[in-house]
Amino acid sequence: MGIIYKIVIFIFLFFCLTSNPALILAAEIIDAQKLLKQVDDNLWSNTKFISGRLIIDNGRKERTLTQDSWMEGIERSYTEYKSPAREKGTKMLKTRKKLWMYTPRTDRKILIAGHLLRQSLMGSDLSYEDMMEDHKLSKSYTATFENFTNIEDIKCAVLNLTALDKKTTYQTRKAWINPENKTILKEERFAKSGKLLKRVLFKDYEIISGRNFPRTMIFKDLLKENTKTTYKFDEIKFDIEIPNRYFSLSILKK
Amino acid sequence: MNWSIAKKNFSRQGLRASLNVLVTALSIIALIFMLSLLNGFQAQATRNVINTDIGGGHYRAPGFDILSPSKWEDYTVKVPDTLLRLHNKDKAEVLVVQGQLYPNRRLYPVQIRGISMEQSLLQLPLDNLKTFSANFDDLIPVVVGAKMAKKAHLHKGDTLTLKWRDRSGAVDAKDIIIIDVGDILNPRVDEGVVWLRLDHLRLMTDRKNEVSWVAVKHYIGLISEFEFQPVEFLMSDLLALWRQDRMNSKILWAILMTLVCISVFNTQMLNIFKRQKEIGTLMALGMDSQRIVRIFTLEGCLAAIWALVVALLLGLPFFIWFQGVGFDVSHLSESTLPIRETIYPDYQPMEIIYSLIIVFILIVASSWFPVKKITRLDPTMALRGRAIK
Repeated sequence: MGIIYKIVIFIFLFFCLTSNPALILAAEIIDAQKLLKQVDDNLWSNTKFISGRLIIDNGRKERTLTQDSWMEGIERSYTEYKSPAREKGTKMLKTRKKLWMYTPRTDRKILIAGHLLRQSLMGSDLSYEDMMEDHKLSKSYTATFENFTNIEDIKCAVLNLTALDKKTTYQTRKAWINPENKTILKEERFAKSGKLLKRVLFKDYEIISGRNFPRTMIFKDLLKENTKTTYKFDEIKFDIEIPNRYFSLSILKK
Repeated sequence: MNWSIAKKNFSRQGLRASLNVLVTALSIIALIFMLSLLNGFQAQATRNVINTDIGGGHYRAPGFDILSPSKWEDYTVKVPDTLLRLHNKDKAEVLVVQGQLYPNRRLYPVQIRGISMEQSLLQLPLDNLKTFSANFDDLIPVVVGAKMAKKAHLHKGDTLTLKWRDRSGAVDAKDIIIIDVGDILNPRVDEGVVWLRLDHLRLMTDRKNEVSWVAVKHYIGLISEFEFQPVEFLMSDLLALWRQDRMNSKILWAILMTLVCISVFNTQMLNIFKRQKEIGTLMALGMDSQRIVRIFTLEGCLAAIWALVVALLLGLPFFIWFQGVGFDVSHLSESTLPIRETIYPDYQPMEIIYSLIIVFILIVASSWFPVKKITRLDPTMALRGRAIK
């Protein structure tokens, strides 16, 4: 009788475990690092073209900057601002760790390096450093699975990311990842002390050239009040041919 | 003989001479007051800068430039034994890093300054920081200056967030508490500056034993990995401003002297014109024209001497009174000049003596110049009062 009872209990538990999708996922997401890599693989491509809008809301006024960006890998990118008139013609070129900026009003190119990278990008909630972040999360952080939580009815795995290098700007992050389609829905960036500094929301995912890519990213500097910067991608192209001149300093002129 | 004639002539001029003496005396008082007030202002401002920031000079990490905030973190060094051995009253260790303060959740870029609590070289209102231990818990205690507090709408007891970078460049942030709003006379170490304990700042930024500079009382010789910046270098902008002020005061000085000289010149011209017959008579009686010139010039000298006496009589009580009440310059609190308190004139005896000698010479010259034409006068025309038209 005792053996039969144990067998029944075992069969019952087996069915319970194998029929609950959450627990199945939990079992899969044990490898948080793998999930993070899958997110990176989805987002990163060899080359990319994005035409988008940067909507900067400082709590009192909203400004919209339109821009075209060409990106190659994680090290090279070129951005040209098209509007408003005040910013039109402003160009930014990122090559490795250097960021060059050209403004038509001064007709000069400026190297933004070192501590200048920490300044706000055109009054937005992003720093130049945030903008030119050139590392895949899976390469810079070790991920550990925390728990599951829902974001707009989507069950997400919450990963805690800890920087591998003490030079990494944000030593810890938290990422909310949809394990089904390997998309990141929310990210929080923390100070070394653990204080929450920034929140990034990834919205309006669409399949573009076989990749699940967010059409909207909302950055919020949580130390400031009522400010946010929305990055809307109107046009995205992956794996396109980008002429070499786009990543040459000679492009930084009128 | 000449002297007694000049005295008689001078006393007979009456009101005209008295007014001349009074104008000259008031100009001398204004001149001494202006110079002494400027001296006092500059001396007090210099003293404030030295007492709150510079000391007797800085031993700085080579390349450190306070005007390049984006590079402050690149130029910090460990304090060498030579400086560590100095007594706390002879040195002040300071570490400076960039930070961002969020008063009312608005971004306010600041300079985070950590200063050793044991130092007594610089006079800063940071005593309340001394009551805290070398470690901090949830809140980091800080002190801000009154000007900074006013500008950023901060009050004693406020808690707010401070963001900074550690030695490796990782971003860090923590809440701070303003334990005191200090009255700092030097706006350069007040506006935009958040004062912390040095050990706290070192802990926050992983910069054990590091400083941006060590302010010292005196130069103690060359120290490797450090460069010494003397007071003259650290105050070069203020000293340039002081020089410019001196130039401006000289212009004012020149204007005042011109007025005095014109007054004396005018009086002498009038004297000659009105006393043509007297001059003609003296010449007709055989007096040498050079002697007449000397008599008239002596009259001018007498005016100058009397002016000095009157300046002494009127000025001395005024200067003594003013030295007691001073000149309130609290309205300068909105400027970046390192002075906000009442200023007192600084009377430099040698400067006053030199100024008086110059004034005297100018008055004598102004007295002599118009009367030298007496040598060319025709005695007969002078007797008829028609030599000068």
